Amino acid sequence: MNGLAIVWDAKDIFFSGALTTLALIGVCLALSIPMAMLAYMFLSESPTPLAKFGRLTADSLRCVPFLLFAYLVYYGLPELGLRLEPFAAGLFTLVFYNTAYFFEIFRTQAQAIPPETRVAAEAFGFSRIKLYQRIVFPQLLSAAAPMLGNQAIMVMKDSALLMIITVEDITFAANFVSANQFSPFAPFVLAMVLYWLFSLSIDLTVSRLNRNFTK
Amino acid sequence: MLNKQFSTRAITAIAALVLFFNTSAASAATLEEIQAKGLMIVATEDDYKPFEFVVDGKPMGLDHELLALYRKQVSHKVDQQIIPWSGLLPGVTTGKYDVALTAVVVTAERAKSLDFTMPIAENTQYYVARADDASIKSVADLNGKVVGVQAGGGSFTALTNLRKLLATSGGSLGRVVQYRSFPEAYQDLANGRTDYVVNGVVNLTSLVKDQPQRFKLGTAVGVPTYAAWAVAKGNASLLAHLNEFMAKVRADGSLFALQQKWIGRGFKDMPTVAPLGE
Amino acid sequence: MTAAAYLTLLYGAGTTMALSIAAIAVGLPLGLLMALARWRRLPIANGLVKVYISVMRPTPMITLCLFVFFVLPTVGLDLSPMHAALLALVLSTAAFNCEIWRAGMASISIDQLEAGAAFGMSDWQTFRRIVLPQLWRVSLGPLVSEMTLLIKVTPAVSVIGIVDITRAASRIGAQTYQPLPAFIAATVIYTLIIAIVVKVQRLLEGRIAQRYGYVAS
Repeated sequence: MNGLAIVWDAKDIFFSGALTTLALIGVCLALSIPMAMLAYMFLSESPTPLAKFGRLTADSLRCVPFLLFAYLVYYGLPELGLRLEPFAAGLFTLVFYNTAYFFEIFRTQAQAIPPETRVAAEAFGFSRIKLYQRIVFPQLLSAAAPMLGNQAIMVMKDSALLMIITVEDITFAANFVSANQFSPFAPFVLAMVLYWLFSLSIDLTVSRLNRNFTK
Repeated sequence: MLNKQFSTRAITAIAALVLFFNTSAASAATLEEIQAKGLMIVATEDDYKPFEFVVDGKPMGLDHELLALYRKQVSHKVDQQIIPWSGLLPGVTTGKYDVALTAVVVTAERAKSLDFTMPIAENTQYYVARADDASIKSVADLNGKVVGVQAGGGSFTALTNLRKLLATSGGSLGRVVQYRSFPEAYQDLANGRTDYVVNGVVNLTSLVKDQPQRFKLGTAVGVPTYAAWAVAKGNASLLAHLNEFMAKVRADGSLFALQQKWIGRGFKDMPTVAPLGE
Repeated sequence: MTAAAYLTLLYGAGTTMALSIAAIAVGLPLGLLMALARWRRLPIANGLVKVYISVMRPTPMITLCLFVFFVLPTVGLDLSPMHAALLALVLSTAAFNCEIWRAGMASISIDQLEAGAAFGMSDWQTFRRIVLPQLWRVSLGPLVSEMTLLIKVTPAVSVIGIVDITRAASRIGAQTYQPLPAFIAATVIYTLIIAIVVKVQRLLEGRIAQRYGYVAS
């Protein structure tokens, strides 16, 4: 059977797989980035030992391989009583893991931003919250935009690993069709094309956001 | 900008061409080619107790012992690859492997791309539930419950029959979760994510024997089916050669003995041609 | 968890690390070659490398492993799980290394090349004597970063049957129906390995910044 025909027959599975991947990436970014911002704000205002501890946690979390972490959350946590459904477990792993990465991005980018704007804002009597909202984060986000975009692509790539904990994403769809129709070529090429298209959209979004922020 | 457009267009063009022109070409080796090369490549699943599984790095199980018997009787080398299930059957149809040396559940759908040897065991699809789950006592109780199956496996195809069975008692199939391999499915059954798992009666009997306090065996959810080795469709010479071997191990009782050892019972009156399940 | 179980975990960790190291060993020079092709704008190679990197960058390792293992046989390249995993890892890390080498090359101003040519040095001499010494020092930080990323991503090869550390832990959990200890042990072992690599990376970066004045980005 022709490859294209097989893939067309299975378009439902691929479509829902693409939606699942999209949902995983979208919700993860929507949760991780704000959480990382909060963590950054909290830890830069807190006393040094706490800040050091926060950095250590983030550093250690970034050393854990994602797949192991996903296994731990999905198969390990039920032993402690926390049994999450596949999508929730996948999302939990993604969010937790990437918050640490985004936090690290914010932290390193912040060092590159000149302190004058902060000092000036403080001189003008900006409250802490307003300081971060109006001065720090806009600069930080626009300066870090390319790295945030890169990390978003890493989120997309990590989401593929979730097929191992039964999340039905794009890679699951490709594997399913290949295993059932005995035709691996078209499904996996389609999967790679879909990931490539997603990454293009992420790159476009980042450059558009970057333009808006630096106007 | 122009460079980016070029890359985008190039990739789209390549992908479209590739998707369009691809057909799955079977180029499995015939018996003559195998004997000329002196090498046969077989694939076995890595975790499918009691037919094949790995303990402390050593492969064990009925299929492995059958393979040992086969090796003694042929002059060519047999290279055995132990891989996850999802690669087995596609690997045979695309010619990567000569034989799927595993307990493949014989179905009409698979018979379109594969030829099956004489069956090595009867392996009708059953369900297994948690031992302490009082809500599941018969097939009708499976109505709406969450089921775990193997992606691309006979357990998945058996769901069609289960759906019909449930419909006769006014029920319907619940959510289906697909696993890469059965050990993962059993784990989720044990921790409560799924309510029952479908697998061959041989595999489930072995499971319940290992873990009687955790699981209890149910009844059939599929029509009677058999398990056999598989080769690519049309590979008649290789099929005849393997069937010769199968007939021999039946006649001299070694298959029966292996079944007793690994399955706990022997299947004396199996057909010589596996009936196509469904 | 029994001692035998710990041994299986360590063995799995060893398999994973061996794969990563082999992939790094091949991917580093391969990436450099591709970066050179881009830098010197070699006619066909330039376009090919661009497309190749464009495809490799967004492709998840697990999908790439499945692709190399299942799809390449249909065009004649039949690989065992180990070889397929190695190929997938190399393909991915070479692409990222190429970009890192290129970024390093961009930091070397063209005046130096012109000076080399003015002195009558051949392209190869210019590369070996002038470009390379600066190049590897600038690129070292990001390259080691990429190595860390590769080591972290290697467990994805378990999907094509390789008994790496995650598969070993999964097997133990499947036998005992108590997966948590196995996964925690596996996580601790592997995280320690990576943490050591990261520590070495930071030390190297510090040393290089000290001695040569480069600060890796």
